Amino acid sequence: MRGNKRKILIVDDSELNRALLADMLSDRFDILEAENGMEAMTILHEHELEISLMLLDIVMPVMDGFDVLAMMNQKGLIKSIPVIMISAETGGSYIDRAYDLGAIDYISRPFDERTVIHRVTSNFMLTVKQKEMSDMLSEQIYEKEKDNSLMIEVLSHIVEFRNGESGLHVLHVHSITEMLLEQLMKKTDKYPLSVKDIRMISNASALHDIGKITIPSEVLNKPGRFTPEEFEIMKRHTVEGAKMLDDIPFRKNELLVKIGYQICRWHHERYDGRGYPDGLKGDDIPIAAQVVSIADVYDALTSERCYKKAIDPDAAIKMILGGECGAFNPLLLECLTDIAEALKKELSLISFGHATEGGIRDTVKEVLKNSGPEASARSIKLVERERMKYKFLSDISREIIFEYIAMPEMIQLSEWGAETLGVPIKIINPAENEQWISVVAPEDYRDFLEKIKKSTPENPVVTGKYLMNIGGEKKWNKVIAKALWGDSENPEFEGAIGKIVDINDETAAMEYLEQQAEHDSRTGLLNHNAAKKRISQLLYENKGKKRYALAMFDVDNFKQANDVYGHLFGDEVLEEIANRIRENIRSTDIGVRMGGDEFIIFMEYKDSAEPQIKRIFEHLTVKFRQFDVGVSMGVACAENFDGDYETLFNMADAAMYTVKRNGKNSYCFYTDEMRDCLGKTRQ
Amino acid sequence: MNVRECYAAMGGNYDEVFSRLRTDERITKFLFRVLEDKSFDLLTESLAAHNMEEAFRAAHTIKGVCMNLAITKLFESSNKLTETLRGRSEYGEDIEPLLAQVKEDYALTLDCIRALQ
Repeated sequence: MRGNKRKILIVDDSELNRALLADMLSDRFDILEAENGMEAMTILHEHELEISLMLLDIVMPVMDGFDVLAMMNQKGLIKSIPVIMISAETGGSYIDRAYDLGAIDYISRPFDERTVIHRVTSNFMLTVKQKEMSDMLSEQIYEKEKDNSLMIEVLSHIVEFRNGESGLHVLHVHSITEMLLEQLMKKTDKYPLSVKDIRMISNASALHDIGKITIPSEVLNKPGRFTPEEFEIMKRHTVEGAKMLDDIPFRKNELLVKIGYQICRWHHERYDGRGYPDGLKGDDIPIAAQVVSIADVYDALTSERCYKKAIDPDAAIKMILGGECGAFNPLLLECLTDIAEALKKELSLISFGHATEGGIRDTVKEVLKNSGPEASARSIKLVERERMKYKFLSDISREIIFEYIAMPEMIQLSEWGAETLGVPIKIINPAENEQWISVVAPEDYRDFLEKIKKSTPENPVVTGKYLMNIGGEKKWNKVIAKALWGDSENPEFEGAIGKIVDINDETAAMEYLEQQAEHDSRTGLLNHNAAKKRISQLLYENKGKKRYALAMFDVDNFKQANDVYGHLFGDEVLEEIANRIRENIRSTDIGVRMGGDEFIIFMEYKDSAEPQIKRIFEHLTVKFRQFDVGVSMGVACAENFDGDYETLFNMADAAMYTVKRNGKNSYCFYTDEMRDCLGKTRQ
Repeated sequence: MNVRECYAAMGGNYDEVFSRLRTDERITKFLFRVLEDKSFDLLTESLAAHNMEEAFRAAHTIKGVCMNLAITKLFESSNKLTETLRGRSEYGEDIEPLLAQVKEDYALTLDCIRALQ
């Protein structure tokens, strides 16, 4: 950051005013300018971390100063970027409204150089100071906390290792204590505890068994039952622990030490007064000790120990509620029942690794790493570096990379992407931007937004295929994007990043292959397989709604033509027939070469198919060079027809057979009398 | 014509602007930018098209600039027009004399600034 001048954003619709302010401030600051609120938001989005202060006019086109303040509030920017109003509006209500929206100062016109510099610099210093102080403070607090809990952890692990326990117990008791206290605060205000108190008690809970260090290990680690004498020795760990804390020569008055004392001494007291060492009863037992007591019992029950197996959490709670493990404050028992489910989850998450020595070493490392006043400046630098990397990579990759920002709505493209699409790098309000609309059809853009907004934080990636207009050509493109969801509890849709990939050549190749697979190479008509699919589909979709005729024919004396005039001529005849079919059917009709000299025409008709069939027949049977073309055509009508393609095909075939039997070169419609020939002619 | 004479001629307050902007050089630099400013054209065009909102903003901008450069005469007429246009959705005849005054003052201001060159 050093050596770089701090950046100031000047937002005013009058260029002259911006220039005047820039002129006054450019010695001390780097100046960014925006001529309306929308531009300002765009710049904020991009340079959020670098902008130290903003000078904001009120009356502006597109988006005015109040809207900018409102949006900055919404995005939480108002707290990190100080805003000084510079409007020519001097009405009190205007100024009040700006202050209410979070502006920190107001420079009235006319601008006075000394006033401007002074206000900007002092406000700037103030916020910088504030920020640095709060950073420093929070880092110090953080470190102190870490040190504290680190020491406590070390201490309690010594106890536990000696005790032959895993070390998880301390962590579990910590979590249970914290959760119980939080639940207790929700339930009642009987015990006035602050968030800080709760943290303190949870931390101090780790100390509950430090007195055990004074207990001889043959007693402490005895697997079987204690004799009454041994039990008396064991009981002493409460008083001994408290004494250790009481004997600390310095800092006896620290809250942590005081609470630790209570916990050590009284975590084996009972609510009914029959516990030890002092036989305190009810709320004479400090709440800290009461809570740790119940936490200790719960964890002891649900964990494996040298003398017992782990008990299932539900059963453990039943035992505690049933009074089998001591007498507790009824309120705390309620709390325990309330958090039972959450507790199961929480405790299963506390891993063994966390409690090992390595874990502690990591904590120390982390503390060391995070110290120093440079930490926050460094994180800003890191973010800047990431952005630089991203920009470089997106610029050199020959891909259209984009970022979509939901509020204010805009699209930002990589340099190459913008160039390829022929649009600006930044497109504000794309739905109404003519350049953008000319590339992406509005309905496609809407479709994409719907898709991406329907995604979830768990499944944020969506894809879509769209026909885009790039450089005056319609091209197929695939859009792959990842939605960006906020990280709050109810994540909000914030935007998306993604890329647009040209799949036009790919799609064209696929289409060509499909075309190839579906068509007969000699005549270019559909082949039988493809035709079957399409016709079946049409029959199925329009059952009872549309009338269709299927005409099947072959060329009379084709074999003879082949023999007399040669195969090449035969091929020419087939091509000619195909052309005649194409010329005489509509684009919605289907012309098919079944194979050899057999063809099919499938078409829709209104009242009667006869006129169409007659016309087609006449056109087909025109003489081709020296060859008298004749065809035998059978026609089947799908009218009130419930069958499939095969049925219709067989009907037409039977009709064709009838024509052949009656001397060829004619057409005839299928009638029920032909039923006998159905499906037989081709066997 | 020097800067002080220019201010006297166009009805501005030289002493005031000098105390704020500190040098003749800077004052001159920004006076010249008034010549390039499009707000006046925007004002007349918007009023002709009865686009009241745009007209208000343009008048407001002229007023703000004049305030900054202590061009008092044009400030006063543009300020009156701005207040008349504030919140207006329809054109009215009462605007015409105010616009005429702004036009006159604007022309004078431009002439004086040009005489500086």
